[in-house]
Amino acid sequence: MIRRLLCLCLLACATLTEAGGRLPAQKTESASAAAPAQQNGSGLDLRLPLESDSIRFAVIGDTGTGDREQSEVAHLLETYRKAVKYEFVIMLGDNIYGGHHAADFHAKFEEPYKPLLDAGVKFYASLGNHDDPNEERLYKPFNMGGERYYSFKKGDVEFFVLDSNYMEPAQLRWVEQALQKSKAKWKISYFHHPLYNDGVSHGPDLDLRSQLTPLFEKYCVNVVFSGHEHVYERLQPEHSIQYFILGNSAKLMTHDFHASPQMEKGFDTDRAFMVVEVSHDKFYFQVISRAGQTIDSGSETLPVCSASAP
Amino acid sequence: MLNRPSSALRYWREKYPRIAALLLVGAVAFSSTLALPQTATNQPAKPDDDKVVQDFENRVAHYLEERRKEAGTSPKATSSPEKLDEAQQTLAQKSKAARAEAEHGDVFTPEITAYFRRQIKSALAGRQGAKVRASLRRAEPVQDVPLRVNQVYPNKVPLQSMPPSLLQKLPPLPKEMQYRLVGRNLLLLDGAPKIIVDFIPNAIP
Repeated sequence: MIRRLLCLCLLACATLTEAGGRLPAQKTESASAAAPAQQNGSGLDLRLPLESDSIRFAVIGDTGTGDREQSEVAHLLETYRKAVKYEFVIMLGDNIYGGHHAADFHAKFEEPYKPLLDAGVKFYASLGNHDDPNEERLYKPFNMGGERYYSFKKGDVEFFVLDSNYMEPAQLRWVEQALQKSKAKWKISYFHHPLYNDGVSHGPDLDLRSQLTPLFEKYCVNVVFSGHEHVYERLQPEHSIQYFILGNSAKLMTHDFHASPQMEKGFDTDRAFMVVEVSHDKFYFQVISRAGQTIDSGSETLPVCSASAP
Repeated sequence: MLNRPSSALRYWREKYPRIAALLLVGAVAFSSTLALPQTATNQPAKPDDDKVVQDFENRVAHYLEERRKEAGTSPKATSSPEKLDEAQQTLAQKSKAARAEAEHGDVFTPEITAYFRRQIKSALAGRQGAKVRASLRRAEPVQDVPLRVNQVYPNKVPLQSMPPSLLQKLPPLPKEMQYRLVGRNLLLLDGAPKIIVDFIPNAIP
């Protein structure tokens, strides 16, 4: 009898833990299942299908150092722009490290990305803890519309850009309303502080996670990008949400990971950036290191999800 | 009828009294753990709290009105970093000059300070409080900022991130104003000129 009682208790505990824990619900297709690698004329390794009416963009995070590594990644971004023809870049915060005088904006943004800016590529910034919210939100090339948090739409994709440094109740209300009224097929959110990650330096922000994940799950957010941790990491999807961390487009924290079963792919030995293509029900991604090597690629299929009624 | 234990419970109590007692203690402990965050975060407001919060909001509104009148509003969006830089510095200088007599405690009076300390303490209590503390530890804590009222926050020092659960416990601010932390001290910051309006020392217990 006692043995049966103990078994029941263990079963109940396991059920509670499972319900409160993470529930992987979706699998990312590996590189081999995604678009096959293509070599174009310049010998560039391309893993995106480059379909005719797709949305294409690049992702960078923790960039604003003004150092050689930032310039080298920026150079490769321009090389990939010519091949991928992405139209815009999303920035995951820490866009300008250190001072925020005019010279900093020149050296840490305008000069490294001059070829992209000259080609008409738009940048959509989110704010990191090293950014000055009051200057950067007013800096037109960051396309923030004068706000710390905002949304914008490209085709079937709507982006919800949050200020994770200062997630006050007004911002939480705004994001809930914006997600609720969105009719976009793909909902992508990005902000600086990761909700999940396996970096030793910072780790996940549990308080932020407890505020945002219920909204993301309720309103069917598909993909979340964050920076802050100076590595690249792709995690197992959580409740059909794919989480990426890309905080090493200029800064780098080498050998920063601890072993974790939630990590699908990690890269912490060099800088990197990502190119993304969204085409109908497919989300393709390719992560490229500063040395030009593809360190991760794959695709996601739009999961079935119906937003809860308000 | 309501006080009468069910037959199953009575059976357990009679047949296995020690196990039944252990289960009862476990159930009480588990339910009290679940209840902890609720009691920590939903403390009923004291009758005077509304007045204190109203006093705080009035002081913030008065500060902002004076700053707008004497120094102007937030700069306009521009593509020129030089113009941004210049506008920010001009606004900061004018804001400082307009409030040259400002003193520590102008906004955070002893009553308001006591209210904030209670709110912060409750935000740091319970299971959610542990997440807030973890969030603070991982937010790259900022230390080296001289705490002086009406001084400009240093250009090169990052602003420490604020945990959302902590912000939920503090009175809402106008869009231009923010709460920020420097070490364990809570700052009231006017964002556009980056002026420290007032602060509470050792606000984080």
